[in-house]
Amino acid sequence: MNSQRSSNDYKDKFIEFRNVTKMFVDFCALDDVSLSIPKGCFMTLLGPSGCGKTTLMRQLAGFSEPEFGEIFLDGKKVNGLPTYKRNTPLVFQEYALFPHMTVAENICYGLKLRNMQKDDQRDKLKEMLKMFNLEGLEDRFPKQLSGGQQQRVAFARALIMGQEVLLLDEPLSNLDAKLRVDVRTELRQIQQRLGITSIYVTHDQDEALSMSDRIAVMRRGRIEQVGTPWEIYFKPVNKFVADFVGTVNFINVEVKAVEQKKIYLQWKGITFEIDEGGYQVKKGDSAILVLRPECISITPDDNGAHAANILRGKVSFYSFLGRVIRYWVEVDGNTFIIDDSNPSTAGALEGEVNIMIDSKKVHILPDEE
Amino acid sequence: MSKLFARESIKEMKLLKNEPPLLAAIIFIIAFTAFFVIWPVIKVITVPTLSDYSGLITTTRWARALYNSVLMTVISTVSCTAIAFVFSYTLSRADVPFKKLFRFVTLLPIVSLPFIVALSYILLFGMQGIITKKLLGLSVDVYGWFGLWMVQTVTFFPYAFSIIYGVMKSVSTNLEYAAYNMGATRWQVFRNVFWPLCRPGVAGGALIAAINVLTDFGNPIMIGGDMALLPTEAYMQIVGWYDMKTAAVLATALLVPALMIFAVNRYWVGQRSYVTITGKEISLKPFELPKPVKWGLFSFCCFVSIFVLTVYGTLVYGAFTKAWGHDWSITFSNMRYVFDKNIEVINSIKFAAVSSAGAALLAMILAYIVQKKQVGINKLLDFIAILPGAIPGIFLGLGFVIAFNSPPVEITGTSAIMVLALLFWNIPTCYSASVAGIQQIGSSVEDAALNLGANSFRSFKDVILPLLRVPFISGFVLSFLRSVTCLSVVIFIYSPGTIVGTISILGLVSNGEWGSAAAFTVILISIAFGVLELAQFFLKKHGTSLEL
Repeated sequence: MNSQRSSNDYKDKFIEFRNVTKMFVDFCALDDVSLSIPKGCFMTLLGPSGCGKTTLMRQLAGFSEPEFGEIFLDGKKVNGLPTYKRNTPLVFQEYALFPHMTVAENICYGLKLRNMQKDDQRDKLKEMLKMFNLEGLEDRFPKQLSGGQQQRVAFARALIMGQEVLLLDEPLSNLDAKLRVDVRTELRQIQQRLGITSIYVTHDQDEALSMSDRIAVMRRGRIEQVGTPWEIYFKPVNKFVADFVGTVNFINVEVKAVEQKKIYLQWKGITFEIDEGGYQVKKGDSAILVLRPECISITPDDNGAHAANILRGKVSFYSFLGRVIRYWVEVDGNTFIIDDSNPSTAGALEGEVNIMIDSKKVHILPDEE
Repeated sequence: MSKLFARESIKEMKLLKNEPPLLAAIIFIIAFTAFFVIWPVIKVITVPTLSDYSGLITTTRWARALYNSVLMTVISTVSCTAIAFVFSYTLSRADVPFKKLFRFVTLLPIVSLPFIVALSYILLFGMQGIITKKLLGLSVDVYGWFGLWMVQTVTFFPYAFSIIYGVMKSVSTNLEYAAYNMGATRWQVFRNVFWPLCRPGVAGGALIAAINVLTDFGNPIMIGGDMALLPTEAYMQIVGWYDMKTAAVLATALLVPALMIFAVNRYWVGQRSYVTITGKEISLKPFELPKPVKWGLFSFCCFVSIFVLTVYGTLVYGAFTKAWGHDWSITFSNMRYVFDKNIEVINSIKFAAVSSAGAALLAMILAYIVQKKQVGINKLLDFIAILPGAIPGIFLGLGFVIAFNSPPVEITGTSAIMVLALLFWNIPTCYSASVAGIQQIGSSVEDAALNLGANSFRSFKDVILPLLRVPFISGFVLSFLRSVTCLSVVIFIYSPGTIVGTISILGLVSNGEWGSAAAFTVILISIAFGVLELAQFFLKKHGTSLEL
């Protein structure tokens, strides 16, 4: 499968940030950030507020210039290029629709700036109105639209430009919960169909996991990890990433032995046996066992044999969510959070229980202290 | 930290050289304001010598004027604030009829001429007063502190009202319900929740009333009688003795407390406000008041409203009465008199229109730069824009006389000096209106235009300019109303060729030509209201309205 482009390197680096540093008055918003985004990739910048994700995207759009570092788009360096020459349509968090223009005028404004023929503008507008289900609303003003409609106008206004890049700055955060889930599916389908290289900024891990080809998790102006949603979720590189993308149990363990492609971990007289899976640990290391709630199963206490990876504990609290029950189970003074995704119609488990760790779905991190 | 910000400011200022139009605009505005605001102020302050200033204490008459000014300000502020509080509370919390009428009553004096109440008060209660002479057969002297106090209260309580009402409206009734829910009694809710939240607003309203009463010229000159106040005394020094130095001393004595009130309001009250500008609607109906309280408030508002309406009614009646106090028959001769002297009405409109257009434009550019651009000196520009608001009209007028009657700028007696004085006097009003409008413009619409491929010029022309239309109109109209009804600023700088309506009225009143004065006033108010209604119609089409 040869690339149509001459160089593979070029294809992997359709957008590239190279050692970008951005200073604000009293703090460093971006600290030597490097990131490459392949063509057609949906890249999500994920992180808590103030981590620099929006700032990084705005450097590409040219709303501000970094103090150090270079930014490349489609092989061309864009540093110093004014915003309006960068062709990087952006969907704003608060939509930023022009309040004095109609829906049609808003959507076509970019085309008008390019002096496109009126007829061509009309054709493109029609296409967009259809794609975003806005037919019949073209003569309305933004304030006459619902939040969801305004948001679709914002998408249309960006996409009509026909660029190969689309920037999205938390575009779903002003929608209500149910609509948000619908829109993210639609948006992802449109992005895949058109093959647009996208950068998506969000602090919502569900959005990041469900939409992205790649996720870059950021903290304090740095990228902590870049990877597929699977890598980020199941193989986080540190406690911050593990915790940020979902609920997690951390257990401080000691490596007892590494033999026959198995790692044996010791925690308070209990032994965990997990697949070796490429972890660089040796006997005597201290490590952190990372367990997602759904990777632990829970059964009523059977007083049975306590094999490896099975612990006995006591339910201290539970919360029923319909498709899942979340349990808090006390084991030796530690609390494990466990999701039972197949709740019984009779009710939740109580009292003594057995919990079992799925050795294929655990992850270990080096001790961070 | 402050060092860091200073460095950031310098960095921003250096970036300005990439945007020559912006830089030019800023330099122009600073130079222009410095020359027409700061320079006249310095001139007035530096005309008298130190010994001239000491006369303020040694000369009994002037010390008396200072004392009277302060006293009048204090008692009028108390009465204005009390009435404003009752009106605000009634309108925001009580379920009573005639609310629209009460609201209208609080708007009337704001769009009227400064001395209208004084004039009408004389027509009602004076020597030839319709109530005192015709109905009661009395001969009363209304001139003096009591008459002035009444008049100042009616004239300026609406200014306090607009601030206090704004705050009370935005204090969510949900907070009161929350307190009731926790078991508080009505009195506890009022004292522990409602009152503390309103307090900054009440203080702000009181200060606005105070600065207006202190610097007012129109009412005292008409009804003050023997009671010497700083603004009227300064005026007498000029027209009576052409004593510029003494006038400057008195005007400076007025400037100092005015600046103090202004600073307290801006930097002390302003920072204690709990109100956030979110435009959030009151979500629950106000808690029902006890019947006696409710109808007590209602009666009070009715009483004040009847008084205010009588004041304005009298004026209209006076405009069509042959000889007030002697011959009550209806006539159009007063109106005819005004039309014969139409040059003064035309001057009023002309100067108001030109100066307001200038003020609104300048203020809009300033507001845009301060709000949307990082130029390193945003705070300074903001200060420049609001500064003229702290200068009493009479002081600014005097400053223009002293500063611009000799080269390099010798414009005394011309239309230009009238326009320029009104222009700078109105900048703070226009600036506030523009800021309010520009804050409504989302922070990223300009970014959005740039992002879609518009350069700075296109984004300004296609997006910012159309969006600034509403703030511009708002600023223009408010400024126009203030200019048409302005007396204090122009009293020193008019010439026979540039005489305006308000000055003619003053002359008519001092000659006892009540009918013509009333007719003149009615016409000026009609023009002001006409322009206001026109603007409201236009703004309504843009989905907004003018808040007075």
